[in-house]
Amino acid sequence: MSERKNGEQLVIHDIKDKILWAVKVRHAIVVLSLCLMLFAFFNKLDIGLSLGLIPFVAAYNIVAHIIYRLKKNYQLWQIISFRSVFQVFDVLAITFLIYITGGLESPYWFLYLVLIVISGFGAYSYAAFSVFLIAIFSAVFYLGLLLLTYRGVIPTYGPGFMLSPQELLRSIFNKAVFTTVSFFLFAATIYYFTKLIGEQRQQLSQKNKELLVALGELKDLDRVKDEFISNASHELRTPLSVIRENVSLVNDGIVGKVSQKQKKLLMSSQANVDRLARILDNMLDISKIESRMLALNRQRADLCEVASKAVELFGKKARDKNIRIETRFPGKVVAWFDPDQVLRVYINLLDNAIKFTAEKGAVTVGVEVFPREMRGFVEDDGIGIASADRARIFERFTRIDAEGLVGRRGAGLGLSICKGIIEMQNGRIWVESDPGKGSRFVFALPRVEVNE
Amino acid sequence: MSEKKMKILLVEDEPDMVEAVRIRLEANGFDVITASDGPDGLNKARTAGPDLVILDVMLPKMDGFKVCRMLKFDEKYRKIPIIMFTARTQQADLAQGKEMGADAYITKPFKSEELLAKIRELLG
Repeated sequence: MSERKNGEQLVIHDIKDKILWAVKVRHAIVVLSLCLMLFAFFNKLDIGLSLGLIPFVAAYNIVAHIIYRLKKNYQLWQIISFRSVFQVFDVLAITFLIYITGGLESPYWFLYLVLIVISGFGAYSYAAFSVFLIAIFSAVFYLGLLLLTYRGVIPTYGPGFMLSPQELLRSIFNKAVFTTVSFFLFAATIYYFTKLIGEQRQQLSQKNKELLVALGELKDLDRVKDEFISNASHELRTPLSVIRENVSLVNDGIVGKVSQKQKKLLMSSQANVDRLARILDNMLDISKIESRMLALNRQRADLCEVASKAVELFGKKARDKNIRIETRFPGKVVAWFDPDQVLRVYINLLDNAIKFTAEKGAVTVGVEVFPREMRGFVEDDGIGIASADRARIFERFTRIDAEGLVGRRGAGLGLSICKGIIEMQNGRIWVESDPGKGSRFVFALPRVEVNE
Repeated sequence: MSEKKMKILLVEDEPDMVEAVRIRLEANGFDVITASDGPDGLNKARTAGPDLVILDVMLPKMDGFKVCRMLKFDEKYRKIPIIMFTARTQQADLAQGKEMGADAYITKPFKSEELLAKIRELLG
């Protein structure tokens, strides 16, 4: 998961760097225009065009920079749609430039020719095609502008339509040096920018394809593991069932009389078969949790309700041992988690609490609410846990042996399963205890607000 | 002894399992017929007129869920109670078992008292 995230972040950085680069190129163009202007000034050439170009490009760059800065913290897809904004902006900007440098007289319409040529009619790449489209659109805008000035809808700056075609052509070609250089600079920056975005788009779609393939492979692997686990489960349980049934049949005297001594051994066998079955269950669960395959069914649920359910299930067991179960629920505590898995945690903790508490003791089950998390706890006044054991107790196959403990001994997996379940939901689980002073098992889960 | 014996169809592919369950059921006064794969089980359910069917989930040629579904979706055999045996305790499977219309669900290894209790419950 984290590797994938890194990949995404790398791509984002890459694009951001390149965009920053493109902006720098535009800055360079402003500087070049300034040089052009100085050159024209010292050579007593017509500086009108350069004067027109500089503040224009400068202003354009500043606005582009501002827009970029504003969008800096946005995510990838927004940077991509950013491209259309810029393209529209470019077209409008060029049209306006042409307008203020003389409309019909402005030599900047050469820009379109250059763009169309550079883009090679959009034949060789996605970026080139976009540039081609921009050039066509810009040409349309330009023709529209000409039409409007011709019709007198917008005022013109230069003589424009009054000149004869020869005079017009001569006027334009007089500014040839400036026009050509400026065209190329301007065209280049637009083209480069578009090419850049096109490139990134391609890279992203490529990455996307790769990720989809990897995801497909993972899903297949997942399915294979799932099938393996359920097959293994069946394979192991079938002989267990046969053994249990056979032992049970003999023990019940169905296939012949059984002596007391024989009965005792048979019952012990039965109990051990049951124990094997439980261990098997737990082992399969642990392996699923460890490979992150235990499917979490997160939903809006009330933690207090889950705790109450667990308490109900142990009613009889507690009464048998004369143990009082008290509850402490602060009303409804609703959050986003998997209630069935958390129920298992409560069941496990409650089972332990009752097991390790002497007759006539008390066990408390409850829920506590904190600003960003909720905690479930099970307290008992049993034998307690030494500090050395408190950390180990959540490890796999670890059982803390206790003096005088009566009752079935597990495989030491229950608490590690609880830990797995809680940690899979981004929670923590721990125990507060001292020998002889009882124990308090607590788990915390994030209390995420859910928008309905 | 005038009461007719209840007939139970046991569809299970593990022969040792079949033996053990048959002994248990016969000792409790039931008649037992068996089938060792899905299609055979389905066939016997339809032709041998059992009062109850015990169905294992993992069966060769056609899995238990399918057999259960086919019986339950058929007007004529819908009423026959079905108990499904399974080794899988995942909730998904439990849900699937209930969705397919099985009347009861027992995980292996099972306690024979549990099986007998469920049988008696379903046969009324």
